[in-house]
Amino acid sequence: MGAHYTAVGWNRQKKIYDWVIFAFCVTYLAVFITVTAFANPDYTFETALIRSTSTLAFLLLHVILSIGPLARINHKFLPLLYNRRHLGVTMFFVALVHGGFSILQFHALGNTNPFLSLFLSNTQYNSLPGFPFQALGFFALLILLLMAATSHDFWLHNLSPKMWKTLHMLVYLAYLLIIMHVMLGVIQYETSPVLVVLLALGAITIISLHLIAGMKEVKNDQVVYPNRKEGFVQVCHINDIEDSRAKMFCIGAERIAVFKTAGKLFAVSNVCKHQNGPLGEGKVVDGCITCPWHGYQYLPHNGQSPPPFKEQVSTYDVMVNEGYVWVNPIAYPEGTERPGALINLQVP
Amino acid sequence: MTDKKQDEFYIGWVGKTPPTFAALTKRFVLVLLPVIILLGVLLAVSQKKFGTGNFEFGTLTEVRGIYFDKPVPNLRVVTGFGLEGNNSFVTIPLIGYGKFGADGAISDIEKAKHAVLNGKWITLKGTLLYNDGKALMQVDIGDNPITNIADVTPHPMTVDSEQLGSITVKGEIIDPKCYFGVMKPGEGKPHEDCAIRCILGGMPPMLHVVDGSGRINYYFIVGHDGGKINNSIKNYIAGPVAITGKAIQYGDWVVLYTDGPQSITAISKSALWQPKGSIMACAAGGTPLKTPTCSVR
Ligand code: HEM
Ligand code: FES
Repeated sequence: MGAHYTAVGWNRQKKIYDWVIFAFCVTYLAVFITVTAFANPDYTFETALIRSTSTLAFLLLHVILSIGPLARINHKFLPLLYNRRHLGVTMFFVALVHGGFSILQFHALGNTNPFLSLFLSNTQYNSLPGFPFQALGFFALLILLLMAATSHDFWLHNLSPKMWKTLHMLVYLAYLLIIMHVMLGVIQYETSPVLVVLLALGAITIISLHLIAGMKEVKNDQVVYPNRKEGFVQVCHINDIEDSRAKMFCIGAERIAVFKTAGKLFAVSNVCKHQNGPLGEGKVVDGCITCPWHGYQYLPHNGQSPPPFKEQVSTYDVMVNEGYVWVNPIAYPEGTERPGALINLQVP
Repeated sequence: MTDKKQDEFYIGWVGKTPPTFAALTKRFVLVLLPVIILLGVLLAVSQKKFGTGNFEFGTLTEVRGIYFDKPVPNLRVVTGFGLEGNNSFVTIPLIGYGKFGADGAISDIEKAKHAVLNGKWITLKGTLLYNDGKALMQVDIGDNPITNIADVTPHPMTVDSEQLGSITVKGEIIDPKCYFGVMKPGEGKPHEDCAIRCILGGMPPMLHVVDGSGRINYYFIVGHDGGKINNSIKNYIAGPVAITGKAIQYGDWVVLYTDGPQSITAISKSALWQPKGSIMACAAGGTPLKTPTCSVR
C-alpha cells in the first residue's frame, strides 16, 4: 500500500488529461483568431493573439474556480479536482502570453523601461474610469505566477499547508483584479454588450456554485447534538455509518470523521493535512483512510500516514453504547494512537 | 449493505477511474469544452470593428518631396504643378521607429550628412502608414532612410496656410502612428498606455474628431508658438476632450495652436457626440487645398 502511495506520477490518465487541455487550448486560440480574421478583415494578428489568449485564460479561470464547489456538490466530479493543478498551470501560461505580449505591444520600443512604463504611462490612479487597468492585470498575473510556481507539493510542504492554502486563496483576489482589469479596460471602449454580459454571467455562476456548496456544508455544521454524557456526545446510530466509510460531525470547533472499518469505529480529524480535504468523505482503502481529494492516507487507529509519509491528524475517543455512537470532541495530539470502539453487531 | 456503484471511490494516483466517475466527468467535459469554444466565437464576433489603417510593415517605399520640420516633421510631395506655382501636393507627416517621433532620426541624418534638411528637396525611404486617405511615413535610421538631398529645390514652395480662426473642437488625442495603422485598436482606453508612451516619445499628438455622420477630421496639436506640448498633456490622451486653439490649415492637414493643457478640458463620453456636419469638413480625406466648403463651428 505504501508502495503505490509514492507512485504519484504521470499516469496514463494524467497524460490523456494533459493532451486534452493542450488540444483544447490550441483549438480555442485557432478558432478565435480565425473568426476574428473573417469577421474583421482589418484585424491585426497581435491584437487577435492578445485577445484570444486573454479570453481563453479568463474562461479557464472560471472553470478552475468552479471545480472546487462542483466536487463538493457532487463527488463524482472529483477526477476534475484531482487534475485541477495542470489546468491552473496551463491557464497561467496562456495568461502569460497575453500579459507578456501586451507589455511588448503597448510598452516596448519606447523611452521608458516597459515594466516601468506599465505603471507610469497612465497615472490616473485616482480616477475610476481612467484607472490604469493594465496594472491590475499585472498583479493578477503575479498571483497566478506565484500559484503556478508553488503548485508542486514540494512547496506545499516547504511553505506549510496553511501558508500554501492562504497563498492559493489569492486566486479569488486575482479573479477580482481581472474583472476590474476588463471593466476598466476594454469595456470602456467596446460597444457590444457581450463581454459585460458574459462577465456578469461568469461571476454569477462562480458565486452561486460557491454558495450552494457552502450551504451544504453549513447545514452539516449546524446539526445540534443534545445527548452528552461524561464528555462524550451522541452523534448517530452505528448503522448510519457504512462499512469502510465515515460520517462527519461538527462538534463545537472540532470537525470529526468517524470511520467504520474491520468491525470497529475510529474517530479522526476530518481535515486532511494536504489541502484541508474532507477525510470524512473518504474511504478506508487497504486499511488506510484515504482522502477523497488527492488520496493522502492515514491509519485509522493513530491518524498517521503510513511510512515514509509524515502527515498526522488528530484522533478522538469514540465509544458505542446501545447501538449509538458517542464521540469525545477533545482532540488528542496529532498521531496519538486510540483503541477505537468495537461494534457489537447484535445491538437492537 | 451498499450497492457497488455507491461504493465506488476515486483515488487520483491509482490511475483507474471508477465507471460512474469517469462517465460523469467525460460527459461534463464533452459539453463544457464546446461551450467554451462557442463563447470564444461569440467574443470574437462581438469585437468592435477594427480601423482600416495599414502599416506596410517590412516594405520600404521611396518618396521624394520637400522636408519641413514645422509644424511637425513632414514631407511635402508635389502631386501636380499648377499655374503661378499653385501646386497641389500631399503632406506626409514623419514619425520615428518604435514609440518615437521623427526628430531623432532627422537629426541623425543631418549630423551624418552635414546638412540642414528643412526646406530641402529630398528622397526619403521609409515605411508608409495610411488610413482615411492620409499617409504617414516611419523614418528609421536603420533603414538608411535618406537616398538623396538635392542641392537646389527646383520648385521653391512656401508653406501655404489658411487661418481658420480660434475654434473649440471635441475629440480624442491619439498618437498618429498607432492610429494610422500600427495598432488596432489604436485609440481608446485599451490603447491609452501606448498612446501616452508614443506621445511622450515625441510622436506628434493629434486630435481625432468624428461627427454624427462618421465624418472624420484630424488636428495636429502644438503650443501657441508651434512648439511641442507633448509632455504636458499626458492626462488628456486617449480620453474625450475639448480643445480650444487657433486653427491653421496647411494644405491637407490642420494644426491647432494651443496654450497647452490650459486649452484642454476633459469631457464626458456623451459630450463627445457631435451632430452631423458639425465639424470642419475640408481637411479630411486628402481633399485639395483651399476647399471652399470649410466651415467651423
Ligand atoms: C502584465 C499583465 C497584463 C497586461 C499588461 C494586460 C494588458 C491588457 C490589455 C492592454 C488589454 C486590452 C487589449 C485590447 O483588447 O486591446 C487587456 C485585456 C484583457 N485582459 Fe489583460 N493584461 C494582463 C494580464 C491579464 C491577466 C492575468 C488576465 C487573466 C486571465 C487578463 C485578461 C484580460 C481580458 C479577459 C481582457 C479583455 C479581452 C481583451 O481585450 O483582450 N489580462 N489586457
Ligand atoms: S486534501 Fe489533498 S489529499 Fe487530502
